[in-house]
Amino acid sequence: MNMLEVKDLRKRFGDNEVLKGINLTLKKGEVLAIIGSSGGGKTTLLRCLNFLEKANSGEILVGGRSVYRATEGEKPEVTPEAQLSFGLVFQQFNLFPQYSVIENLMLAPKLRAKRKTTQGERETPEAIRERAEKLLATVGLSEKANAYPCQLSGGQQQRVAIARALMLSPDILCFDEPTSSLDPELTGEVLRVIRSLKSSDRTMIIVTHEMEFARHVADKVIFISDGIIEEQGTPEEVFGNPQSEKTKAFLSAGQKV
Amino acid sequence: MEQFWKITLDLCVGFGETLKIFFITLAMALPLGLIISFGSMSKFKPLAFLTRGFVWIIRGTPLMLQLITVYYGPGLVFKQMLFTAPMAVYITFTINYACYFSEIYRGGIESITKGQYEAGQVLGMTRRETFFKVILLQVVKRIIAPMSNEIITLVKDTSLARVVTYYELIYFAQRYTKNAGLLWPLFYTAVYYLVFTAILTLLFRWLEKKLDYFKA
Ligand SMILES: Nc1ncnc2c1ncn2[C@@H]1O[C@H](COP(=O)(O)OP(=O)(O)O)[C@@H](O)[C@H]1O
Ligand SMILES: [Mg+2]
Repeated sequence: MNMLEVKDLRKRFGDNEVLKGINLTLKKGEVLAIIGSSGGGKTTLLRCLNFLEKANSGEILVGGRSVYRATEGEKPEVTPEAQLSFGLVFQQFNLFPQYSVIENLMLAPKLRAKRKTTQGERETPEAIRERAEKLLATVGLSEKANAYPCQLSGGQQQRVAIARALMLSPDILCFDEPTSSLDPELTGEVLRVIRSLKSSDRTMIIVTHEMEFARHVADKVIFISDGIIEEQGTPEEVFGNPQSEKTKAFLSAGQKV
Repeated sequence: MEQFWKITLDLCVGFGETLKIFFITLAMALPLGLIISFGSMSKFKPLAFLTRGFVWIIRGTPLMLQLITVYYGPGLVFKQMLFTAPMAVYITFTINYACYFSEIYRGGIESITKGQYEAGQVLGMTRRETFFKVILLQVVKRIIAPMSNEIITLVKDTSLARVVTYYELIYFAQRYTKNAGLLWPLFYTAVYYLVFTAILTLLFRWLEKKLDYFKA
C-alpha cells in the first residue's frame, strides 16, 4: 500500500500558479529526493504537505486515508492527526532559542500529552525524556542535551531539529534543503544522520541540491520545474538516463559547478 | 530635625498613594496592553482599524486631559459624577498605559520570525501553545528596554493624578507649602522618585541578565 499519495495538487499565490498539478506516490520506508532549480516550487510542495500553505485543490492521502482534500474555492480545516502525519525539518532549523536541546525535543510531546483531547494512554514525562535521550543519541548529540541552540554549530542545530521532528513520530518526514544554510564542512554530519535514519518504516522526502546524496540514498527521485514534475524515477533512471530536456540541462549545469 | 523625620514619614504615606497608582496601573495595563496589541494585529480589518484608532487617540492626547475627561466628564454630561478620584485615576492610567504597552508588544511580536510559529505548527502545537510557550518569552526579551522606559515614565506620571484631587506624593508635599510656608518638602519628593526609579532600573537590569542565556 502507498504510504503517501498526492493527487493533482495545485497551489496559487495570487495569480501565480506555483504547483500545477503534482501527482506522486511513496511506499512505506521509501526515500524520495526532490531536485530542481530554485523557484520551481519544491519548498511550496513541502509546505503544502505540512499544511503551512493550503493547496487550492488536490488531495493528500496518508496510508490510504485522505487527510486533505480541497476543491477550487474550498479549503478544508486541517485536523491534528493530519498535521502529525507529516514532519518538517526547515532549512533554517527554527529551534526554540529559549529552550535547551532536550527541552526543544520534549516541548511538543509534553503539550500533546497534556491536551485533554488526547485519546488512549498519555505518555508520561519520564517516557518522553527517555525517548528524547534516545533520539539525541541517534543524532549523536547526547552530550549537548543541556546546551542552548545559540551554543551549537549549524550542523548540530540541524541535527537537533531532526531529532525534534522525530519525537512526534510522523508517518512522513520532510526535509527542505536541510544543509543549504550550513558551511560546507558541516553538511556531511547532517547528511550522514539523515542517511542513518533510513529504515523500513521511515518514509522521507528530501529537497536537496546534494546530487551525490540523492543518488545514493534515495529510492526515488523527482525533478520539479515550473510547478510540474518534469521527470521521475529511480536515481539510476533520473541521473543516468534522463528523458526530459530540462532535466538534462539541469543535471549538466550541476555537473559543471 | 524632628520636623524633618516627621515630614519624611508623612511623605512616605503620600508616596504610598503614588505607589498604589503605579502598581495598580501596571497590574492591569500589562495584560490589557497584550489584548489591545492582539486587536491591533487582528486579521479582521475593522477590529484592527478601530483598535489602532483608539490607540492613536490615547497616545495622541495628554494624559492630564484624559484624567480630567474621565473624572469631570460624566458630571458635565449626566449631571452626576460617575467615578471617585481614585477610580478615575486607575481607569485612566490603565487605559493610557495599556495603549503604550500594546504598541511595544506589537513591535516585539511582529519581530519574531514566522519560522517559530511554523515550527510550532508542524510539531502539532496549537497556536495558543506556540504563542505562550515559544513566542512570549522571546518577545519579553526583546521589549525589556522599551518597557523599562515606559514603566519609569509611569512612576513620574503618577504626579498628574493630583489634578483630579488624588492625594499623592506631590500633593502631600505642597500642603506644607500652603499650611506652613515650607518649600523644601516639595523638592525633597525628588528623592522618593529617584530611589524608586533606581530600584526599578536595577530590577530591569537583573531581568535582562536573567534572559541573557539565549539569543532571540
Ligand atoms: N508565500 C508566497 N507568496 C507568494 N509567492 C510565493 C510564496 N512562496 C513562494 N512563492 C513563489 O512560488 C515560487 C516557487 O517558490 P518555492 O516553492 O520556494 O521554490 P523552490 O523551493 O523550488 O526554490 C516562486 O516563484 C516564489 O516566488
Ligand atoms: Mg526552496
